[in-house]
Amino acid sequence: MLMHWLRAINAENIKEWKIEFSYKADFIRSLIEPLIYVLPYVFYGIAIVGGRNSAHLKQLIGNADVITYTVLGYIVMGFLNTACWGMGWSLRKEQWYGTLETIFCAPVPRWVYIAGMATHSTLHQGLMIFVQALVIHAIFHLTLNVSGLLPSLALVALMLVALYGLGIMVAALALIFKEGWMVSEILHSIISIVTPIAYPLAVLPIVLRKISVYLPTTYGIMGARHFLMDEKVFFSTGQAFLRLFLLGVVWVAVGLLIFMIVDKKVRRDGTLAYY
Amino acid sequence: MNGKDWLVIFEEMRKNIKIILCYPLAIVFWVFFPIIWVIPFIFQGRAFVGSLASSAFKDLTGSAQYIPFVLIGAIVSTYMFSALYGIGNSFRMESYWGTLEFILGSPAKKIMVILGKAASEGIFSTFFAIAQIFICIFVFGLEVTLTKFAPILFIMLLLLLGLYGMGIGLAGITLQIKESRGIIHALDSLLFLFTPIRYPVQINPITHAVSLFIPLTYGLVAIRGILLVGRPLSSLLREIWLLLILDIFLVGFGLFIFTWLEKRVRKAGTVSHY
Repeated sequence: MLMHWLRAINAENIKEWKIEFSYKADFIRSLIEPLIYVLPYVFYGIAIVGGRNSAHLKQLIGNADVITYTVLGYIVMGFLNTACWGMGWSLRKEQWYGTLETIFCAPVPRWVYIAGMATHSTLHQGLMIFVQALVIHAIFHLTLNVSGLLPSLALVALMLVALYGLGIMVAALALIFKEGWMVSEILHSIISIVTPIAYPLAVLPIVLRKISVYLPTTYGIMGARHFLMDEKVFFSTGQAFLRLFLLGVVWVAVGLLIFMIVDKKVRRDGTLAYY
Repeated sequence: MNGKDWLVIFEEMRKNIKIILCYPLAIVFWVFFPIIWVIPFIFQGRAFVGSLASSAFKDLTGSAQYIPFVLIGAIVSTYMFSALYGIGNSFRMESYWGTLEFILGSPAKKIMVILGKAASEGIFSTFFAIAQIFICIFVFGLEVTLTKFAPILFIMLLLLLGLYGMGIGLAGITLQIKESRGIIHALDSLLFLFTPIRYPVQINPITHAVSLFIPLTYGLVAIRGILLVGRPLSSLLREIWLLLILDIFLVGFGLFIFTWLEKRVRKAGTVSHY
C-alpha cells in the first residue's frame, strides 16, 4: 500500500514538472523572480539607512548589516510560497484545467495528491531559493558564518513540515471558496507581516509579537539568522527545534483534519465541480 | 466609434461589474491588501532607523517621512495591478471560463470589448484607491487637503491612460501565448523594482535609468511632490509632459499590439488552444 501511495506521489510530482517544462519561459522566470522580488526590500533598507549598516539594528539584534539581515529573512520566507501557492493553489489549478474530478476519482487517498504537490513545490522552491541565494551573494557579498549552515538548514526543514500543514489547509479552503488565490494571498500576507522577516520582533506591536510565537516561520527565520549572522533571539537552540517540531505536528494535524472535513463536505453537497 | 460600439463597451463593462460583484471577498481584498502589503516596510523602517523619519531618505526624496512615501506607492499600485491582472489577463480568464470563443466570434469590434473591460477596471480601481486614501487618512494619519485632490486626480488620470494602454497590449499578448500569468507576474515584480512604488529608485543607477521609461515613475514623483512636499501643479510640468508622451506611446502601442495579435490568433486558428 505504501509503495502504491509513494508511486502516486511521485507521479503527481512528475506531472507538475512536465507541465512546468511545457512553459519554458515561465520556468526561467520562476528562477529569476525571487531575486527581483527581494531587491526592493534591500534597496529600501539602504535608502532609509543611507548605507549598509544601521546602528539601530545593531542595538536590536547585535548585527548592523541590513542587507544580509533582509536577504536572509526573505530567502527563508520563500518557502511560505510552497505552502500558500504551490500546495494551496494546486486544487484550483486542477479545476481550471478541468481535471479535478478525474484526480478525485483516482483510487488513492486525497492527501496523496497533496503530498505530490508538496514534493514538487518544495523541489521547485528549493531550486529557486538556491539560485536567489547564489546571485544575491555574488552581488552584495553577504557576510555569513558558514558553520551555521547545517543547523540553519535543519531548522528550515522542520519549518517546512509545519508549512505543509498550512498548505493542506489552504488547498482545502480553495474547494469551498473556489477563488483560492485570495485564501493563499490573505494567509501569505498576514504571516509575512507577523513573521520578523526584515525586522526584529521588538518593533512589532505586542499583539502581533504574541501571535508570531505560534508561527513556524518565526523560528525558521530567526533561528537561521541566529546561526548565520548571530542574531540575538528569545529562544535557545533546543527550544527552537522542539517548538518547530511541536508546531509541525499541530499544523499538519490541523491541516489534514480541515482537509478531510472539507473534502467530505464538498463531495456530499455535490459542489466539487462548482466554479 | 458609433452607437453600437458604445453599446459593446457598456455591455462588456456591465458584464465585468456583475462578475466582480459575485466575489465580494475580492472587493474587500483589493481595498485593504495593497495597504497591508506595505506594513512590512513600515516595520522595517522602524527597525533600521528607530524613528518615523530618516535624513538619508530626505536627501533622496525631499521628505524624511518614509511611511507616507510607501503608502502613496501602495495606493497607486492598485492601478498597476488593475492594468496587469484585470486587463492584461482578462482574455485568459475568458479562456478559463470557456467564453473566449463566443466573444471573439461575435460581430462586435474586439477593441471595444477590451475598452469595456478597461472601463470596468477603471471604475473599481478608482473605488479601491479612494477607499485606500480614507484608510491612510484615518489609520496612518496621511494628510490630504481638499485643494490637493484635483491635481492628484489629474495626475492619476494621466497615469491610468499609460498603464491601461500597457494592459491592453498585454491582453493581446495573452491571446497569442495563452499562459501569460508568468509574464504578468514577472512584469509586476519588475515594476516594483524599476519604479518608485516602494523605494526611491535613485538609490541605484540601473533602477534609476530604467525607471525613466515607465509612466509610474512620473506619476508617483508628481503625486508625492503634491502630497508630501507641497509642490504646486505648475512646478510639475516636466513630469506631466513626460507622462503625457509615455501615455500617447503606450496607448497607441497597446492598441496596435492587441489588434494585430487578435487578428493573428484568429487567422492561425489558435483561439481555442489552451
